[in-house]
Amino acid sequence: MYLKTQLEWNVLISPENLDPRGLLLQRSIIIRLLEEFANRKATKDHGYFLSVTTLEKIGEGKIRPESGDVLFPVRYNCLTFKPFKGEVLKGVVDRIVKHGVFLICGPVGNVFLSVKTMPDYQYVHGENPTFMNNESSKIEKGGVVRFVVLGTKWVETEKEFQVLASLAGDFLGPVS
Amino acid sequence: MSGVEEEENAAELKIGDEFLKAKCLMNCEVALILDRKYEQLQQMSDDPMNQVSQVFEKSLQYVKRFSRYKNPDAVRQVREILSRYQLAEFELCVLGNLCPETVEEAIAMVPSIKSRGRAHDDDAIEKMLSDLSLIKKFE
Repeated sequence: MYLKTQLEWNVLISPENLDPRGLLLQRSIIIRLLEEFANRKATKDHGYFLSVTTLEKIGEGKIRPESGDVLFPVRYNCLTFKPFKGEVLKGVVDRIVKHGVFLICGPVGNVFLSVKTMPDYQYVHGENPTFMNNESSKIEKGGVVRFVVLGTKWVETEKEFQVLASLAGDFLGPVS
Repeated sequence: MSGVEEEENAAELKIGDEFLKAKCLMNCEVALILDRKYEQLQQMSDDPMNQVSQVFEKSLQYVKRFSRYKNPDAVRQVREILSRYQLAEFELCVLGNLCPETVEEAIAMVPSIKSRGRAHDDDAIEKMLSDLSLIKKFE
């Protein structure tokens, strides 16, 4: 699910970017915020960081005596994406292996659909392997699949979520 | 660790209080926002793709592909129509994203609309889906 959230971060500005007129300062703060935003990539609580939408407030700066840098608390709105257990999502098939299917869903590159959660689907091996069921419904690379999120796991070292998918339910499976 | 944490499950709308209150966005709404952002970046630099993160790029591709409604007026109408039906933000967005065609499908996609003691009878859901389908026709 895509979320709009309000966050407050501290942005560090070095002295050469401090302009008493204020305009350059605000620009420096925004640039630093965007850099930091892109670097952070994702957190367990808010999900993947997409884009800053609006700047709400820049607080009073606090000088760091050792470096002369100034720390500004910045409150802003942004878009994030977070996978939720129980949510029904669409994903694109990236890879098919004997024990399941790997899907990509927005910024989540790691959605795994195990063969155990694909009722009635059988692996069809070949140069371009697929999964097929009795009604000739086919799951193949590049295809779109509607799945339910069985579970999510936050991996701190990679700053990403691993998502387990399932087709156990009505109206789930490949869609055109 | 003492006590039992209530397990997160969107199907039962158990997604944490802060997310129940957070603004959820449909794919089509995100597509409009990210498109605008990308345009702004194009005006500011020669190589906008260099300025955006992988997360931005992948999301833009995804929401553009999975947006049923592209026209900003249509997108506004979708939210307006769904907002009439006592839905949690999360439920509203899943319905707007998946565009179920029948009441049965809507309940399968968002099981929580039938629970939590709200008056969501099949007739109300049917009316909601038929109002939504009208938007598609005139896009």
